[in-house]
Amino acid sequence: MKSLLKVTLYMTTAAGMLLGQSAMADTSDKRIALSNNYAGNSWRQAMLRSWEKVTSEAVSNGVVAAADAFTTAENQVTEQAAQIQNLILQGYDAIVINAASPEGLNGSVKEACDAGVTVVSFDGIVTEPCAWRIAVDFKQMGKDEVLYLAEKLPDGGQLLEIRGLAGVFVDDEISAGIHEGVAETGKFEIAGSVHGNWAQDVAQKAVAGILPSLPDDIVGVVTQGGDGYGAAQAIKASGRDMPIIVMGNRHDELTWWKEQKDANGYETMSVSIAPGVSTLAFWVAQQILDGADVPKDLTVPFLRIDQDNLEENLANTEAGGVANVEYSLEDAQEVIKGAM
Amino acid sequence: MTGVATLIRQPWLWAWVGALVVWLATAVFTGGKGSGEVLSAAMTFGAFFVIVALGQMFVITLGPGNVDLSIPACMTLAGTVAMKSMDGASAMIPVGLLLALVIGAGVGTLNYSLIRLLRIPPIIATLSSSFIFQSAAIWWNRGLRVKPPEALADFTTAKIAGVPVIALFVVVLAILGHVLLTRTIYGRGVVAIGQNMRAAHLAGVKVERIRAATYIMCATLAGLCGYLLAAFSGGAALNMGEEYLLSSIAVVVIGGTSVAGGFANVPGLWGASLFLFLLVTMLNTFGAGAGVRLVLTGLIIIGVIVAASGGKART
Repeated sequence: MKSLLKVTLYMTTAAGMLLGQSAMADTSDKRIALSNNYAGNSWRQAMLRSWEKVTSEAVSNGVVAAADAFTTAENQVTEQAAQIQNLILQGYDAIVINAASPEGLNGSVKEACDAGVTVVSFDGIVTEPCAWRIAVDFKQMGKDEVLYLAEKLPDGGQLLEIRGLAGVFVDDEISAGIHEGVAETGKFEIAGSVHGNWAQDVAQKAVAGILPSLPDDIVGVVTQGGDGYGAAQAIKASGRDMPIIVMGNRHDELTWWKEQKDANGYETMSVSIAPGVSTLAFWVAQQILDGADVPKDLTVPFLRIDQDNLEENLANTEAGGVANVEYSLEDAQEVIKGAM
Repeated sequence: MTGVATLIRQPWLWAWVGALVVWLATAVFTGGKGSGEVLSAAMTFGAFFVIVALGQMFVITLGPGNVDLSIPACMTLAGTVAMKSMDGASAMIPVGLLLALVIGAGVGTLNYSLIRLLRIPPIIATLSSSFIFQSAAIWWNRGLRVKPPEALADFTTAKIAGVPVIALFVVVLAILGHVLLTRTIYGRGVVAIGQNMRAAHLAGVKVERIRAATYIMCATLAGLCGYLLAAFSGGAALNMGEEYLLSSIAVVVIGGTSVAGGFANVPGLWGASLFLFLLVTMLNTFGAGAGVRLVLTGLIIIGVIVAASGGKART
């Protein structure tokens, strides 16, 4: 996968040079900055590593002049707003943002736009109209989980929902999608709901607490990613039958799934957003600088793992990390075309 | 009668009463179903709170301004380094434990050096040092989860007759803490410093030596907790300590220790830890939404603190 991406990248570079009207020539003196609000979990670490890997290659190939990553220490809106103002002063041509808040940064983003800086937000998007948004359809993600369960469990039953961090937009969206799916399929009931904060240990604790009060026939667990393994541990400790736990692409979740699959044919699915979405945002920013016509709202594709491609994805996932893909220029162009 | 009066005046009583009330409320709601399992889970997760809260209690008791905010970062660093060094090998378990404790002691030494040598207030010193420890943890393993050795994971999740082994272990730790606080010169010194640092100094208490020992002990316990928690939850994660920052302080205060220092007790730590876990479990069981749950958690914590301090005012 990685080498394939590399080859396509080289091929694009070569093709661009031959045609003489390449994207590279136009953006080779442009500088792009990444403004990132948080780095304290494995997903964000993988996101930064993907950025580093893809952009350093792009810089050494002369696609852009610089692509520097900046992370704020405290995950604070004020701090990131100040950081963006600094980046404007430092004369970056484009700023790629993973924002601490959808609205809180709008002032700084507007300032950047007024200063002629291209702003592309992804994952944590900003609502300021002058910026581009590469958003995740979290609602669809939640709905997909229930649709999968409906297919696997034609008789329906009781579900346990593990939510993320209370008060965060992503949590509300995924949960709304799950409830929409439950209403549409009409055969499930959510017997209990806890907040796992997207962390294994928190999910384990919350599930261990609520399990004793739940009915014995829980058939499925809908999750938000980063909480599946903790849920499995808690359910195992309670001695209950293992329900279908939807996973979130973390290495420990996939490993556990593989062990169960080998031992007793356990079936589930896993869905999340690849941390490499930062590289998609990079290429979109590059395309905008290149003068391409890019719609303001783009959608990130999900990275979904199923029973038959589990082994392949597990092999490609770094031990202890999260399943990932890095995006190429072509991927970005396809996403842009898809949104036209 | 005087026995009852003395009991009511105990500052740790309210946390235990609170824990009992929320547990009974949950049991009534579910018709008694699974109450034993809930209690068993509360003992397991409460044990982790007690470990860090024990250290935090000694620090807070040193008096106004004394608090250790580097606990989450210290837990993460100790857990990460220990898990990576053991790399799943059971033979390395003692080495991993030693590393976690040494890292904790190192963190505490650095914290105290910042406070003493550079004269930085403890809140600022421990908050800023926590950035260094968190970054060190990120640098050490880039957020990758390394699985704990099988034997260690089994130890942290084992139960004897429904009682988690780790809870028994922490009960022993708490008893040691209680003896340390009430029966040793060191413990009495901590309380004396919290009541009046100058008076303690004039009375011959070795103030700085005791403060140093307290910060080092607090961080060492955080390192131990990081080690055990990482083993329990299947590996160290960069955000594993996050909820232990406020919880460690909340447990100390709800447990009846004076937030202004100079007045502490250990039994309250266990009561408060069980109370906090059971409270969230109760609200989850009632199916309360996140907003309602957070508001109720806040109100109930305030209620318990007011009840506890009201009890004290009567004395």
